[in-house]
Amino acid sequence: MQKHKVKLAHSLKRKALLQEINGLEKKAKVTNKASSSLEDDANGRKKKSVPNCVIKAKTVRNRIFIGDQIEDCKDLSGLYYLLAFQKGYLINWEIERQVWDYIFGKSYLDVDFDDTSIIITEPYFNFPSIQEAVSEILFEDYQFHSVFRCNSGFLTQSKYYNECKNSSELCCLVIDSGYSFTHVTPYYLDKKIKQGIKRINVGGKILTNHLKEIVSYRQLMVMDETYVMNQVKEDVCFVSLDFFKDMEIAKKHSTANTIVRDYVLPDYTHIKRGHIRDPEDAGTKPTGSEQIIRLNNERFSVPEVLFHPSDIGIQEMGLAETVVHSISCTPEEMHPHLYNNIVVTGGNGLLPGFKERLYNDVRAMAPCELDVRVTCSDNPVNYPWQGGVLMSEHSDFNKQLVTKAEYEEYGYNLCMERFDV
Amino acid sequence: MAEKRESIRIKDSQSRRVLDSAARRRRQRKALEALEADNFQDDPHADLRMSKKAPKFEETIDTGPQVGRKKKKRRSDIFKERFRKNFAALLEEEQMMTGDLPGYQTACVPPSHFPERHFCSVCGYPCKFHTFPSNYTCVQCGSRYCSVRCLGTHQDTRCLKWTA
Ligand SMILES: [Zn+2]
Ligand SMILES: [Zn+2]
Repeated sequence: MQKHKVKLAHSLKRKALLQEINGLEKKAKVTNKASSSLEDDANGRKKKSVPNCVIKAKTVRNRIFIGDQIEDCKDLSGLYYLLAFQKGYLINWEIERQVWDYIFGKSYLDVDFDDTSIIITEPYFNFPSIQEAVSEILFEDYQFHSVFRCNSGFLTQSKYYNECKNSSELCCLVIDSGYSFTHVTPYYLDKKIKQGIKRINVGGKILTNHLKEIVSYRQLMVMDETYVMNQVKEDVCFVSLDFFKDMEIAKKHSTANTIVRDYVLPDYTHIKRGHIRDPEDAGTKPTGSEQIIRLNNERFSVPEVLFHPSDIGIQEMGLAETVVHSISCTPEEMHPHLYNNIVVTGGNGLLPGFKERLYNDVRAMAPCELDVRVTCSDNPVNYPWQGGVLMSEHSDFNKQLVTKAEYEEYGYNLCMERFDV
Repeated sequence: MAEKRESIRIKDSQSRRVLDSAARRRRQRKALEALEADNFQDDPHADLRMSKKAPKFEETIDTGPQVGRKKKKRRSDIFKERFRKNFAALLEEEQMMTGDLPGYQTACVPPSHFPERHFCSVCGYPCKFHTFPSNYTCVQCGSRYCSVRCLGTHQDTRCLKWTA
């Protein structure tokens, strides 16, 4: 019997954060590709996310950087991004192919395609022609042994049910708040309820761009510094649990303002990475050439856009309202189960306060007789990937795949039949 | 002399220009589009395009050896054919196929039922909220501001800057 290695690809978008995943002891070699790529081999050697993009640097003119190659770049100011995704959908294959070639290639995973299955996730309602292209490229171009395509929520629900084994849950509501957008999807067992799938067109990209915009207007021109400002966002932003109260605090002066932070920007000569300035130094003058920006109401008014898109003129429901709306589109007998099994995935789940705020807001809007429970793992970015690992170990896995031999015999129709994307 | 009067008059009329609601909406849409942008700056290697040394997109660079001849041919075939579609084309295609069934369009959430909140377009603090009672609107462009100071900043910097 052939033992396939497994590749798991995840088509979120670019994620500028690289993460080391520890404690996975899988024989399968797994990649969480597109936005973020995780790898794990028998020795637990290299395990991480890879940004799903190609980058050009101002100061390095003789090459481009693919995925995590950007780690080789010393000066990360003014980076120029080339992204295969537009509004969360894979539009530019030239760029994506470069990233895949790199990840699958000799210098990275060194995939033995004949002997490797790949799990690849796609966004909800992925356009039919993109779905076809993905299948064709994986089978015909890379020649994977077999392919499984699904939404990341499919992997999330399997991981989630696995975690609450004892309570035998029937439903869960998967929130995936990523780079391009945020989806809320009800699942009954492992089936998504299509009429309940709801999308808010707010994701990490808009938050970072909004932060860039207001800092540039109020303090210092940072419009070109997407990479740096994304780090600022990750370092200082949080989801407020009492928005107007925090606004009042941010308006106060000196020590009464417990929100304001000074942030030292990197210059890539002396300061390799930006960081919050020690509050002890708050009153003192910055030394030397340190460039500092002050983050005050920006710290929480930026993530607030997820909960109130209309704050910046996006006329859409916020996340908690969307949860209620999504559940209202499902059969009534499912409502108690869905409210009680809300699971958060995606990079925005890392914002401090995200889970608590979501709980508070949903609790306030949900029917009072129903229990509300929100879970978010410590690693909401990799949660679906972990579900993929579980899936690859399951005895049924081979039945869910489409093999290259089957693809050659039955064509793309078999993919449409077997995969629920 | 006539020239001078002319220029003053233009300046004056510009400074008093009031944007109508269509222009205000256009301006808002532009601001939202900017939030979707991948980059603000231009391609820093754009000037390399002409040079032979410049890396071309279609080539794979620094990805290690791989990709047989067969693949390379296939790849270019694929790009040329069906799969090179922009977002608008994909959306149109989907609509023809799915009709009223759940899809990309129907999945988008409707506007919120909660009243819109207002913020000073300069400092970002709330307007018209009980501990933040100030609420003024710029006569020319409709932006909100919270104080005379913020209005001054607004007029000096942003007010009609973005209108085309
Ligand atoms: Zn103000
Ligand atoms: Zn104005």
